[in-house]
Amino acid sequence: MSTLLQVSNLSTHFYTQDGVVKAVQDVSYEVAKGETIALVGESGCGKTVSALSIVRLIPEPPGKIVSGQVIFDGKDLLKLSQDEIREVRGAKISMIFQEPMTSLNPVLTIGRQLTEALELHQRMNKKEAVKEAIRLLKLVGIPQGEGRIKDYPHHFSGGMRQRVMMAMAISCQPQLIIADEPTTAVDVTIQAQLLQMIREITDRLGTAIIIITHNLGIVARYASRVYVMYAGRIVEHGPAMAIYHNPKHPYTVGLLASVPRLDEARKTRLEPIKGQPPDLIAPPVGCAFCPRCSQADPQCQVNGHQLVEIEPGHYTACWVACKETQHGK
Amino acid sequence: MGNDTLIEIKNLKMYFPITSGLFLQRKIAEVKAVDDVSFSIREGETLGLVGESGCGKTTVGKCILQLHRATSGEVLFEGLDLCKLSNKELRPLRQKLQVIFQDPQDSLDPRFTAADIIGEPLKIQGLTRGREYRERVSEVLNIVGLSPYMADRYPHEFSGGQRQRLGIARALALRPRLIICDEPISALDVSIQAQIINLLDDLQQEFSLAYLFISHDLSMVRHISDRVAVMYLGKLVEVSDRDELYKKPLHPYTQALLSAVPIPDPAVEEKRSVIVLKGEVPSPINPPSGCVFHPRCPKRFDLCSAFIPPLIDLGGGHQVACLLYSPK
Amino acid sequence: MAEDVVQTEAVRPHHTLWGDAFIRLRRNRLALVGGVLVLLVALAAIFVPIFSPYGFAQQNLDAIREGPSWSHLFGTDELGRDVFTRLFAGARTSLMVGIFVQVIVIVIGLPIGAIAAYAGGRTDNLIMRFVDVMYAFPDILLIILIRAILGGSIYMIFLAIGLVAWVNVARLVRGQILSLKERDFATAARAMGAPGRYIVWRHLLPNSLGPIIVLITFGIPRAIFAEAALSYIGIGIKPPTPSWGTMIRDGYDLIFSAPHLVLFPAIALGILMLAFTFLGDGLRDALDPRLRR
Repeated sequence: MSTLLQVSNLSTHFYTQDGVVKAVQDVSYEVAKGETIALVGESGCGKTVSALSIVRLIPEPPGKIVSGQVIFDGKDLLKLSQDEIREVRGAKISMIFQEPMTSLNPVLTIGRQLTEALELHQRMNKKEAVKEAIRLLKLVGIPQGEGRIKDYPHHFSGGMRQRVMMAMAISCQPQLIIADEPTTAVDVTIQAQLLQMIREITDRLGTAIIIITHNLGIVARYASRVYVMYAGRIVEHGPAMAIYHNPKHPYTVGLLASVPRLDEARKTRLEPIKGQPPDLIAPPVGCAFCPRCSQADPQCQVNGHQLVEIEPGHYTACWVACKETQHGK
Repeated sequence: MGNDTLIEIKNLKMYFPITSGLFLQRKIAEVKAVDDVSFSIREGETLGLVGESGCGKTTVGKCILQLHRATSGEVLFEGLDLCKLSNKELRPLRQKLQVIFQDPQDSLDPRFTAADIIGEPLKIQGLTRGREYRERVSEVLNIVGLSPYMADRYPHEFSGGQRQRLGIARALALRPRLIICDEPISALDVSIQAQIINLLDDLQQEFSLAYLFISHDLSMVRHISDRVAVMYLGKLVEVSDRDELYKKPLHPYTQALLSAVPIPDPAVEEKRSVIVLKGEVPSPINPPSGCVFHPRCPKRFDLCSAFIPPLIDLGGGHQVACLLYSPK
Repeated sequence: MAEDVVQTEAVRPHHTLWGDAFIRLRRNRLALVGGVLVLLVALAAIFVPIFSPYGFAQQNLDAIREGPSWSHLFGTDELGRDVFTRLFAGARTSLMVGIFVQVIVIVIGLPIGAIAAYAGGRTDNLIMRFVDVMYAFPDILLIILIRAILGGSIYMIFLAIGLVAWVNVARLVRGQILSLKERDFATAARAMGAPGRYIVWRHLLPNSLGPIIVLITFGIPRAIFAEAALSYIGIGIKPPTPSWGTMIRDGYDLIFSAPHLVLFPAIALGILMLAFTFLGDGLRDALDPRLRR
């Protein structure tokens, strides 16, 4: 498997009036060609910020990418000039956001927004771009493109707008798509439609995709590898099967336990993770999950956040879990 | 109304007019948000009301609370039809009928302290004063798991889960008998959702509360509900006991809905086949003829576009509105 | 039930929403400059006429149209009156106009806007059409008309300006209340059985204060300018009470021989209006919750 994207030791901070928010700390992940990976975590864990950092969409100020490397196609994206990164964005790496109403321009027709990207990146002329736009709309499940390209975003429902976003995202045949909570704002049945469409298209075009979500079900259905984030760090990662069937970090365990499953017998009481996520202005020194952890050990406060391989391809940052595995050997 | 029925909704209809015109607003169309819905809730019971956006479930909740005045139908509570009471007559009854909202940020006035928020219903109902008021506020804060130290803080100083606890405390302050929970956990993080559900569960046990739990999260609804009702485009399509519904969903829409929910287990997901519905939810201004679900139904046949299927009781409290199950 | 709540000690400093706005305002240099200027002018307007060796109406026909000198810091006008004293007495007039007019504007505009928004329907329609009609007339003409009816005392002038300016506030308040009316916290209050008046007074208006305060702050220079304009065309403040508008008009005839008579009041007017505008801009940014960093 050849690596398409390699993020190493990425750290992004935000300088606010109350202090420095360490949104992403020392995060590393990689995506192979054509692979689907997932970044899972709850709000504030840093998953979206890390993805925006990759394509340098972090507003500076108040944000700042303080360290790290993002190697894509042989180049470090963090070191590119503004012009160079603009050529990557939209053409080689494209993004789908959660709220299609705000990411689509309400005063331009759908057609115009599609052809804009095509003319810019693919250097097509007007007629070619329109033909291609219609073809793309058909690909994402919007037939009768000739009529629809004259419509404005508000003429479409939420699910349709996401399809348009998808069409825009694949219009320049990117090698990687970053989908940030692509189905959070739509209903369950529409979500099923959209995810099926995304899967079919990425399979057909061989595009790699990073799905950012808090929905453990979607991840189980579509991702081959999973990165679990908490308080700005990656606490566990590995193949989907390993993460779901053999979770080692107490946060992952807690997360999986707190979600009721339709295929299991109903429990009398849910098992939530007690407490709240920490405020990233003053992240704790040791493991950030400690106050909420059922396995906390005084050593946890001292040890760092090293990710250790506990089985092939499966890494965890939990010191207690690593210790147990070692003793088990 | 007999036995222990707490509230009964009969043939509720809520049609919103769409008007046009310069001075005299003429009605040119209607949004049939709720179209002839009937159900009841017993004391201490939780009825889950599920459906996707636009199905009318939130509107049902608002109509029960008389925040929207229903176009027609009855809401029978404590022997009175709420729809026929004036705002003034409703006020004392509101003590028993409370609500929790979806967005913990939006449902709290950012300029009120936590104590103000919880105490407001007490003040409006004129129930307590002075020391008794303060004691009640502290008591309720404790019950929902918040520290009394936080009583003077503002909503923006709380986390999302804590704000939702405040919302619950506010609903609880008047010791209601029924709480309408309108998507109470959708805006919260996954790990916090479980905390709040457990809290709601515990409160129900302790105070014999009944809930109308409105949500689109089918997994959570299964956990907390005793019975479940499914809505689509303003109509009830299936009502049943909880276990029955999830084991043997009868209506094709319910089946599609359940199949669309992803299960957090890759091994299971690999083997599952998902029913993917075609098309979009139609507009409630111009609903399809006959059964409102027929354009997207994988099991439809000719009659489905001609007849509106009535909600039929198939025994054991399991009701379905589908021609597949209607006697010929 | 309390077992799963961990005590999160507030890591961020505790301040109220007003406190937060104040911190942001302090950081805005232009706003601070504006605020300080306004304060200085206000203080000067109070104290200069009291402590000045000259009365603002005191004439000295031996020293007419003199340029600035040590005895008359800003010179004298065509009747030998000290311009410096008159300037700050005029400042008094201007500030009084600004404040009084805003009071009238709030007393009339706020309730009308709030009622229109909360009552909705036909009431709203009726009120807003009336507001539209008032908007259609040019401000100054309307003021002149009302002034002609009400007479010339200084308070009638305030009233005239106020009776025209309230529409801005009414429209803004209506807009704010309309958008806040549908928010969940207002619905929650309704679900508790709170009557409409209570909801508007306790929930909706306090949350609309931000934009209203900004509008008032911008309204002050507008009122000041309106008074100056009235005085300039001769139907404003009656002499000998100084007003910057009258001073500019009187000085205009002598603009080439004694330019200081026009320059000082004109510059003063400009500076005061600019100061209020900076302050208003700063307040708008500070009070906008979305700009919180």
